[in-house]
Amino acid sequence: MMRFLPLFVGIVFLAAWEFSVRRLQVPVFVLPPPSAIAKAFADNLPVLMSALWVTMQMTLAAFLASFVGGLALAILFSQSKLVERSLLPYAIVLQVTPIVSIAPIIVIWVGLDHVERAVFILATIVAFFPILSNASLGLRSVDPGLSDLFRLYRANRWQRLFLLQLPSALPALLAGARISGGLALIGSVVAEFVAGSGEATGLAWRIAEAGQRLEIPKLFAGLFLLSLTGLAINFAVARIEHLLLRRWHPAHGGGAG
Amino acid sequence: MLTLAGITKTYPSGLLALDHVDLTIEAGSFTSIVGPSGCGKSTLLRMIAGLDEPTSGTIAGRPEDVGLVFQDATLMPWADVEANVHLPLRLTGVKRKDAAPRIAEALALVGLSEFAHAYPRALSGGMKMRVAIARALVTRPRLLLMDEPFAALDEITRNRLNDDLLRLWRDQKFTTVFITHSVFESVYLSTDIAVMTPRPGRVMALHKIGGPPARDAGFRADPAYLDGCRAVSHDLEQALRAPA
Repeated sequence: MMRFLPLFVGIVFLAAWEFSVRRLQVPVFVLPPPSAIAKAFADNLPVLMSALWVTMQMTLAAFLASFVGGLALAILFSQSKLVERSLLPYAIVLQVTPIVSIAPIIVIWVGLDHVERAVFILATIVAFFPILSNASLGLRSVDPGLSDLFRLYRANRWQRLFLLQLPSALPALLAGARISGGLALIGSVVAEFVAGSGEATGLAWRIAEAGQRLEIPKLFAGLFLLSLTGLAINFAVARIEHLLLRRWHPAHGGGAG
Repeated sequence: MLTLAGITKTYPSGLLALDHVDLTIEAGSFTSIVGPSGCGKSTLLRMIAGLDEPTSGTIAGRPEDVGLVFQDATLMPWADVEANVHLPLRLTGVKRKDAAPRIAEALALVGLSEFAHAYPRALSGGMKMRVAIARALVTRPRLLLMDEPFAALDEITRNRLNDDLLRLWRDQKFTTVFITHSVFESVYLSTDIAVMTPRPGRVMALHKIGGPPARDAGFRADPAYLDGCRAVSHDLEQALRAPA
């Protein structure tokens, strides 16, 4: 019963939306009714889908790059305090500087002929930090007793990393990946808006284009697709998290062990 | 034979935790170190294990192979029982396949053969402690160090684990150094008891506990047990009363 509650709320919401827009005769270019959005969605399906494909590729590439890069840097930090002290402040600078403000310079450097490169870099920067900070936290949150045990049995650095630190870090790392997956999408979209020229063909560009042409139902159809994509990414990462942790982690019990 | 001579530990804050501890632990003995909390007995055990360095003093006669059991079972939650018991061997380069007979043997010793593939999450506190003991024994150490291993368990579980530990110690003939704050537990288990003072910790008294070599619940009514409890309790009270 509880599973269908959100669906039910959604249907009621759409019905109320359709009804009030028609009743109050709101112009379509201000707020189109759901039926018009559905029609625009169907009419523009090929364009929207190919745009989604571009955005998805970008998001996935940025997510993977930030995951590998963030984890690698976190491991490096965990191995050497010196490296961490010297580099962490710059990672933080990158994190706190709004992406929109770095976008033009990145576009000038790499994106004049290849907008997708600029979008990839920008989205990676946005998605990178949650991985780095969560993985760092995870690598440090080793049970002190287990740490002593590894010392007692004279574990070397690599045994400690692979048999103790990385497994200890896994829950935090996956929580970071979940945040990062969403941010990679946001990063791709924002970067595309900022970098967007005629060359960009992702979903963000289609939305901006529809806005400029006052094709508001199409704009909403694009938005809808974006939300759906975000949900799908979140669900996929949560699923992986569950599969990896369900056998041992207390928060992923679920009885089946 | 393990000899601690003049062990002193001063923390960077200037706190004197241990003050010239002298203690000789006979090979094959079951030696308990009893003392009020904060007397530095855990620190002493960590030094015997080689995890902490004394500020001054020496430890002689420590064997290569040492097993260690903490108050928490400190198992790896992401690994099943078998993998947890495998750990000490794995860290010395023995593959799971080659270690399998020794893992099975260690699990049989603590009565957990059927739980080899269970995850720690599914085990009770007593069972987790058994896994920790199996892990400590899988390398067949000459010396087993235990830091209040049963303190967090209920009394019934604790008594059973006491008996199982005694049986293992008799059969495997390793030396045991056992930290506890329970007088009764120490007397029940030990051949030798060292009583420590509150901080700064010193060894204030040594006791030998007589009685039958194979002890069971009946030992709790044995004169040797009762005398031991009386003497150790008396010393501990003296220790607590003495001005620090």
